[in-house]
Amino acid sequence: MKKKSTALRLRGVTKSFAGLTALDSLDLDVKPGELVALLGPSGCGKTTALRIVAGLEKADSGKVLVRGEDITELPAHKRHMGMVFQQYSLFPNLTAEENAAFGLRMQGVGGAERKARALELLDLVGLSALAKRYPHEMSGGQQQRVALARALAVEPEVLLLDEPLSALDAKVRTSLREEIRRLQLELGTTTIFVTHDQEEAMAISDRVAVMSRGKIEQIDTPDVLYSNPASSFVASFVGNMNRIPAQFDGKHAHLLGGKAKVSNTDSAAPTSVVALVRPENIRLFKPAHNAKAVADATVLNRSFLGPVSQVTARTADGHVVSALLPTADTGDLHAGDAVAVELLAKQIMIEGSNA
Amino acid sequence: MKRLGFKLPSAGLFIAVLLAGVFVLLPLGSASEYSFRTPALGPGTYGWDNYAWFVSQPDFGTFITLSLLLAAVAAGITLLVLVPTVVWLNLRGQKLRPLMEFLTLLPLVIPVVALAIGAQTSLPVELQSNQYSLSFFYFVLALPYTYRTLDIGIRAIPLKTLSEAARSLGASQIKVIALVLAPVVRGAVIASVFLTIALSLGEFTLTSLLHWQTFTTWVTVISQSNILGAIALSVFTIVAAFALLLVVGLVSIRTKRRQVTEE
Ligand SMILES: Nc1ncnc2c1ncn2[C@@H]1O[C@H](COP(=O)(O)OP(=O)(O)OP(=O)(O)O)[C@@H](O)[C@H]1O
Ligand SMILES: [Mg+2]
Repeated sequence: MKKKSTALRLRGVTKSFAGLTALDSLDLDVKPGELVALLGPSGCGKTTALRIVAGLEKADSGKVLVRGEDITELPAHKRHMGMVFQQYSLFPNLTAEENAAFGLRMQGVGGAERKARALELLDLVGLSALAKRYPHEMSGGQQQRVALARALAVEPEVLLLDEPLSALDAKVRTSLREEIRRLQLELGTTTIFVTHDQEEAMAISDRVAVMSRGKIEQIDTPDVLYSNPASSFVASFVGNMNRIPAQFDGKHAHLLGGKAKVSNTDSAAPTSVVALVRPENIRLFKPAHNAKAVADATVLNRSFLGPVSQVTARTADGHVVSALLPTADTGDLHAGDAVAVELLAKQIMIEGSNA
Repeated sequence: MKRLGFKLPSAGLFIAVLLAGVFVLLPLGSASEYSFRTPALGPGTYGWDNYAWFVSQPDFGTFITLSLLLAAVAAGITLLVLVPTVVWLNLRGQKLRPLMEFLTLLPLVIPVVALAIGAQTSLPVELQSNQYSLSFFYFVLALPYTYRTLDIGIRAIPLKTLSEAARSLGASQIKVIALVLAPVVRGAVIASVFLTIALSLGEFTLTSLLHWQTFTTWVTVISQSNILGAIALSVFTIVAAFALLLVVGLVSIRTKRRQVTEE
């Protein structure tokens, strides 16, 4: 039973390069049809983990299992993984269609059938019109789509995407990531998506694994990660955070003229700490109509983001805070205005003040 | 990436071709005019006499054949030894690249005399008396050019990513080489083979220092007895070499078409 419920399982995977530990006993379970993002700062081992799954790199110790079967010793070309690389990796001497058909050709699928299948996949990624083009005749985004079609054509056990969008411009990146998600759901392909862009990870994943120094710090759904981070590292890596100096009394943090319960009491605790507060948990308003505990600040800037706006302000003791407010409430906030700052969060995380 | 086209504006291209044409064709034209003169029949007369003269020399065919063979063997060495080496360097021998850069410059730095004597004395005796050892020397002399041509061409291609992509798509090591690596390095390989052939056909110094006779050394000997014949012979050599490289080029374009439409 247990075996069937994991499509991919990593157990204690460790890898070092010349003494430097890239992966430190990594464990990961991915369910069939699930899209898991590996998210983390540069150099935390995301690519290494993916390459070990693909068989392009050999782990020093640990196991890789696919549907319960140990594939740790299996060479890359027998693993049935579909990989899309960060760099453009289409075969320059083959057309889009021939590229998409390459994996099937390796499997010995006949000419007519693989052509049909390649065209079907190019159609899925919206490129059937470019089937006869060579890679150098396509844009970066189109090349990555073909690479995606090529990886999906073999119906891989796991689709491995290593920052496939990082070389593309912002607009293409957003539309292509939606497309990847749509395709992935449509085909039910188990997928690992490596990225260091937290927004990208949160937008399209079933679960996000936040990595730091070769380990997974937390793996959860985007909502849980955002609202209930397991550590201050995760908290500040996922979403935006204000880092505001605060006083810690053993239970509550006092800041911005208010207080909030501290959820990570592990930082057992100097009195001077840094509080992590989400921009939507800070309210800025013209002081007249409220008598609650507040702090004074001066508006620095207001940027319109659509239904919400981001307003930054400098508090009386000199710290810059950033707040996310409904645009309707920001009409009377202008640079230079005196405002009141209110802490909305009941519960926050803190870090030692030297962090 | 491999179809490097010159993207000069057409006017610039035209001028460049024109200048190159004048530079190459003018001397060649004058030489040709001269080579067709037949002073024996009187001033202002033209004919094939000078060409007939060198073709009728008893060793003409022998030495042409020999030089072509030597060039072909040198090209073969480039293909079988240098190409795999450079591919390997680019895949996993990055650290050895500076050493290779240095080694392949040596043939330019070491005087040919030293190269000839040193190489000859260090060769095994059986090879010293084998004329095809010349092919090996030609290969070495061409190295400064062929290595760089290959390396620059191949470095521009992400060989590692391409072969990893192929492997993860189910290609065995052999298929990676045959279906991915070989086709993408073709352009650079053909260029370096060209260079080897051209250099081999024209090599004179080392050949004569080692007391071998090839087409080039034979030409210098025979030329001393007949000025007009010598000019005819040079015109012939230039045109023939050009035609040969053209044929090699056309053949490689043909095979490329075949590969692409093979599916
Ligand atoms: N082939 C290698 N040789 C030596 N060190 C390596 C090699 N590959 C990775 N490393 C090291 O291992 C660590 C993890 O690298 P990895 O490429 O997995 O990071 P990453 O999380 O993918 O980073 P990025 O977001 O920058 O791509 C890094 O410190 C890196 O320098
Ligand atoms: Mg990486």
